[in-house]
Formats: sequence, C-alpha cells, structure tokens
Amino acid sequence: MIMSQVASLKPVDPKLAEHVSSSIAEAQAIYHLLFPTQHLRFVLTMGQDPVWAHPEVVEGPHVPSPRDLGADYLGCIVRPGSHPDSPEVTIRLSIPRLPLPGEIKHLDAPWRPVRRLGTLFRVSPMGYEHIRYQAEMLRRRRSGRRHATRALPLGEGSALLPRPKAPFSDLRPAILIGMHWLEMGGAEKLGFDTISWALAAGLRVIVVASVPGLQRLADRLPDHPDVTFIRLDRYLPRHLWPRYVEKLVLAENIRAVHIHHCVPLYESLPMLRMRLPWVRTIDSTHIIEHADGGYPRISGVWSNYLDLQHVISKEVKNYLTGQFHVSAGQVLLGRMLDRRDASASLPPLRLQPGQTKLHVSFIGRLYYQKRPVVLVECLRALQSWAQKNGVALTATIVGDGPYEATVTALLRRHGLGGQVTQLPGQTDVPALLDRSDILLLPSNNEGLALVCYEAVAHGCIPISTRVGSQDEVVPDGLLVPLAPYATVRGTVAAVDRMWRDPDFLAAQKAQLEAAWGRLAADPTAEEVLMPIYRTLAAQAEET
Amino acid sequence: MSVLNKTAAVIVTFNRSAKLMKVLDALERQTLRPDIVLVVDNASTDDTPRLVEARALADHRLRHLRLPKNLGGAGGFHAGMEAAYHMGAQYFWVSDDDAYPEPDAIERLHDALTGFQAQHGWRPSFACSRVEWIDGTLCEMNCPRPVWDWARFLQRDSSVVLVDSCSFVSALIPRWAVTEHGLPIADYFIWFDDAEYTRRIARSYPGLFVPESVVMHDTPDNRGVNFGLVDDKSLWKFEHGARNETSFRRREGGLISVLAYAYGVRQQMRVGNVPSRLRRQIYRAIFRGTTFRPRIPRA
Repeated sequence: MIMSQVASLKPVDPKLAEHVSSSIAEAQAIYHLLFPTQHLRFVLTMGQDPVWAHPEVVEGPHVPSPRDLGADYLGCIVRPGSHPDSPEVTIRLSIPRLPLPGEIKHLDAPWRPVRRLGTLFRVSPMGYEHIRYQAEMLRRRRSGRRHATRALPLGEGSALLPRPKAPFSDLRPAILIGMHWLEMGGAEKLGFDTISWALAAGLRVIVVASVPGLQRLADRLPDHPDVTFIRLDRYLPRHLWPRYVEKLVLAENIRAVHIHHCVPLYESLPMLRMRLPWVRTIDSTHIIEHADGGYPRISGVWSNYLDLQHVISKEVKNYLTGQFHVSAGQVLLGRMLDRRDASASLPPLRLQPGQTKLHVSFIGRLYYQKRPVVLVECLRALQSWAQKNGVALTATIVGDGPYEATVTALLRRHGLGGQVTQLPGQTDVPALLDRSDILLLPSNNEGLALVCYEAVAHGCIPISTRVGSQDEVVPDGLLVPLAPYATVRGTVAAVDRMWRDPDFLAAQKAQLEAAWGRLAADPTAEEVLMPIYRTLAAQAEET
Repeated sequence: MSVLNKTAAVIVTFNRSAKLMKVLDALERQTLRPDIVLVVDNASTDDTPRLVEARALADHRLRHLRLPKNLGGAGGFHAGMEAAYHMGAQYFWVSDDDAYPEPDAIERLHDALTGFQAQHGWRPSFACSRVEWIDGTLCEMNCPRPVWDWARFLQRDSSVVLVDSCSFVSALIPRWAVTEHGLPIADYFIWFDDAEYTRRIARSYPGLFVPESVVMHDTPDNRGVNFGLVDDKSLWKFEHGARNETSFRRREGGLISVLAYAYGVRQQMRVGNVPSRLRRQIYRAIFRGTTFRPRIPRA
C-alpha cells in the first residue's frame, strides 16, 4: 500500500517557512506599534515581488472579497483590540518572495536606449548622448517653473497656547536615521557613517529606508543591540509614515531625526513640528540635480522645518542660503572626508611630461550619472592620441551597474578590449589609484566627488567635468565642459597639454595640492555631526 | 518554490478512453497526488464522457472539461491550463492521455523544482520526466532539449540536467511561469505547442530534466519527429509541425532562422527519400508559417 498525500499538504521547505514567518513578524511589529489598541486583521498572500509587500490598510469595517482570497492566499492573522469596541483595521500584505541570485547581483535591469532612439544609439552612441544632454539642459532651464523653490512657511505658534513637551521615558535616547535605501552610493555611505557615529555618541539608532529594495547592505549595519532596522520600505504604505513616526518617537524616546534622502521623513516634518517639537531634525544633502534640484531643493523647501542642514560642498551651502534664505548657522558644511586619511602626507603626483606609458582609471557606479558612454568615448579618443604620440595607454574601469554590458560592448566595438580592464565595484581602489596616472570623471553631475580627493592622496591626477563643486577639488585646467563632445575633446586636450607642457603640468599639480589642502582643512562630516549627537545623548541624560 | 503547493494534473484526451482510465489509475497511485485532476476532453465521440463523469462522482478531485469541438492537443492544453490557473493551482502537471506515470513521478518532479530553488536559489521554469516507451527504452519523440551548460548542476548526488524544451508528457510547470509568460498557443492545434511553450517560459530560467521521475508513453510505435518519416498518414501532423515551428522561428530568430530550418527539413526529407509530392506539402506549410503569427495568450 502506497502512503500518499495530496500535493497541497506537502510540508513547506524549512528555509521558505522561516522566510515567511520572519516576514510576517516584521510586518506585525510595525502595525502593532502603529495601531496599539485596534482590532487588527492581517490578510496575507504569497507575493511574486521580491522587495515590496504591496501593503494596503483599511481602517474601519472590512468585508472580505474574492480579491482577498485569490490563488496566493496564505491566511489571516487576528490581533484582538484592547477592548471589544476597538475599531477594526485590516492590513493586506503580499509576503515578498525570496530574491533570485540574479536579482541579488543586479538590482537594475541592464540599460537600454530609449526605444525610439535605439537605432541612433547603435549608429552613434555619442549622438545619443548629445540628445540626452540637450534634453537634460532643457529640463534644467524649466526646472524653476516646475518645482517649488521657496521654503515652506512655518508658524512658531503663540505663547498663549501650551507647547507639547517631551514625555518622560526611561529608555536611553534614540535617533531615527532615514536612508534612501541600503545600497551602494555616496549618500548611503554617509548614512552608514552617521549610524556608526550616533552609536558611538551613545544614542540608540533606528534605521528606516524609503525606497523598497533588497537593501543588500543591511548586513553592513553595525551588529549591535542598539541598532535596529525597521522595514517600513517593505511593509508600510507611504501615507502612513508620519503616523508611524509619531508612535515610534514616543515609544523609543527618539530625540532626533536625521534624513538622508528619505522622502517620507520630509513628509513627516509637519507632524514632528506640531506634535513633537522637541525632536531635532537634521538633513544631509549632496547633489543639486539638473532637472529638479534634487534633494538639496527638497531640503530647501522644508528648511523652516529643519533644525540643521548638513551639506558636503560650498555649492549646496550657497544654494540653500541664497535660493531659500536659510540662515548660515543652520547650514553646516561637513566634508565627507576621513581625518585619519587626511593626516598622512601627500605623495607626489605621478604623471610626468613625455612619459611613454599612461594608465587611466575610472572609479564609479555604472549609472547614467557617471556617463559611462562618454567615458568609453574619452578612452577611445585617448587611445587615438596615445597611438599618435607613441604612448602605451592602458585603462581600468571599476564599477557595477546597468551600463556594464553597454560599456563592454562599446569597448569591444572600438577595439579597446585589450587595453581596458573592467573590474567589479569591490576592487581595491587605493591600490588601483597608486598605479594610475590619471583618473577620469566625465560625470553628468556630482556633489563633490570624494574619489577625486582620494586620487590626489594616491598620486593620481583627476580630470573631471565642471559640475557641482568639483572646482573645489579640481583646478580649472583639468575641468572639462559638460557637453558630451566637448567633454571628450577637453579630456584629450588636458592630457595632451600636461604631457607636452611641463609648466602647465607643474601648475596643475600645485593647484591640486593646494585644493586638497584647503579641503583637508575644512571640518569633516564627523566633526560637524558628532557634537550634535553627543549633545542629544547628554541632554537626555540630564532630563 | 512556494509555501502553496496546490497541484493540478491537466490531461488532454481524444477518443482513447481505455488508455485514459489507465492514466487516471496511475494518478490514483501517486505518492503525491494532485489536488485537481482535470481531464480536457477534445469532444471525444467514444465513451470517454460517460466513463470520466462516472469516475468523477466517486472522486471529487476529478473534473471533466469537455470542449465543444476538437481543438487539438494545443487547444486542449491551453484550455486546461487556463482552467486550472483559475482554480488556483500553483503547479500544473501536464500530460497526454496515453502516458502512465510511475507512482513517484509527480513527487519527484515536485521535489526537484522546490529542492533546486532551495539549494541554488534559481527558479526553474519547469521539470520534466524521463519518458519511456512500453519496452522501457527512451521514447524518441519526448526527449527534452538540453541547454549549452546542461551539466552545470549534474553532480554525483544530483542527476538534474538543465533543459529548455520538453514535450507535454509529464511536465510540471509552476504558476509563476504561467503568470509571467502566458499560456500555450491554442492556434497551433497540434505539434510544437509544447516546445514553443517550454522554450518561452525557459527564458526566465531553464527547466529541469528529472530522470528519477519516469512515465511510460503507450504510443503505437517509437518514432521521433523527423521529416524523413513523413508519409500520407502522418502528413497532416508534419504540416502542422512545420507551420508552427516556422512561425516560432520567424518570431524568435527572423528569416535567417526560418531558412536554416527549411534547409534542415529538406535534408531530413532527402535522407528519408520522402516523395516529392509530400515534400511540396511540407514546403507549403513552411511558407504558410512565415505569415502565421498567433497571439501569445495571457493567463
């Protein structure tokens, strides 16, 4: 007699069961805090999305519909309210599936040209880039008309009415750090640094991210009981963020909110100002985007609701004080530099006039912001220059991203496969800079690219587009125009002049060293933010 | 891999009631029994409806989907999978009415699909059995097509082989593949519908050939699909096959791929000494295939 069972009763794989259980527990914790007394009903389905639980919240009576009970229905969990008449809240969640290996490796699909311009890209990649550049500049010219560029007014309130005060809490003070997401990026690096600094200052740290993602760097958060990552990005609809933040602040004795490109936390600022005014609000921004001003513009719009606005470059500081009339004392310039690195003496810059071997590097994520197509064209033009002048040119491209396949294809097409090495993002960058003569950065936009600063510290000369605050680290002679064809011409001209003209090269080296010294003398982000974190921790101890 | 394992067996039948009953008996003996057994009856004119309905009275898992007319194997699998999809099945075991699965055939396929994802992280788009003829040899017409790196996971303790195409004779397909890639093309009527469909879903990730899962295919003879075997009796099937594969190649690889296919067909017919009047019929079918562009149906 064969023992048989029906397929639907087959035991679930333990790994998958653990994933589902932990996902449900994460979501429950969020909603138990948000709705502490209500009668909660979780309607759960198995999702096909690896990152987003498609949460939907129905407040009030809910009658189940066939939509709740589809093929992927898992079941319903009830958390009774605190009394029989508690209002009902129904939460629909689709438990994200486990990500596939390909999704873990590449979050973004490979880049493809806009369909209508696909033929143009095949015929002339630079022609395509030029059109994209012109479209970007057009958006930049129109951005003032399309996006708010004034700070939202904030009434201080009257002394006649009581002002909310921080309730007593026996918990150690905490800070809420809102990230864009936990993936690779400059803003994210600063976010991770601030988590470590806040922890070192004695604060408990609660981390949230605004963009649903695999959050692949979550395992790089400090492994410390005082650091908690709450997956609001996955389980909470955006309109409920302010309500959740209010409950979280009160429950966890949060004394400050630090925003790193986390839009739902900007949207929580009115609630914080009105109901929890003792909570300090800090914001860090980096790059003024061409099209809409990016996060510095958003920060500017909310500047009256923020206590401190930390910036990494003078350009952003001037933008906030000039465009949004933010007081100079509210805007803090703190460079994304490590004082320990800056304390070492600067090595000589390596490039010599007339040298017969030249190694050029590019270090950055392969996204449009870094303009990988223009980079390949620069390398192609440099190769042509090198052949004419009897120079053996080699190059290294370090980085991952959606443009990876496009870069590989273009390098092959231009016959550069032999001279140019492509390396993943985890490459030993200091070691590469130690053997590179020139660093290329033909970016569409930058705040202040730390990699240029690092390049100088390792004897490598950076050549960059004239964007953002790059003029703070790169001298005029090594800044090239942004227009794609001009970027290529300017890059070759800069290399050629340094290679031929010893006086020019010496002047650039001197200016690079001077700029490096000026930057190193400025306060670092750590020096600017740590005292604030320490004060928060100390004030709470006093109360 | 899903926490939900509801499985539907989709059997397409036409006027082969005795063999169909043997298939249903074999499904009864499965160590992992399907939650739903859906018999798609291509308007059989024998005693199939009576037998299936009588059996369904005793077995609530058995459903009889009688089509208004014979839509061929392709139409049957299309209708059956669509019905099973709307019944909420998470896995679809598709097979013919003359293929008898060994008792652990479906369980082996299930274990292979779920185990592979648990072990390697990737989601195979289907799992297929080793199909044997009645004498225990490999059934020529049901040999899956391996991918170039077919041996990637073939190890001492794992006999799984990566394939990108199989026939609808004991193939287990997960729901996500149907959601993402749609249903088999009913307009193909017969032949190549299974190859087209499995190649389509294998774009996400190849399928698995699971030799531990065995079915016996009770066909009159053990012949492969080779245009050298075209005769008057089988011409109509070959015509459908030629038209359908041409249509597929036109869609996926363009005219160059069609020309390569036509050349291959020509070679097979030459070697097989196929009469020229039959050859002309096949060439006409290939020509028709260049303009035959059926819509890919969504679930």
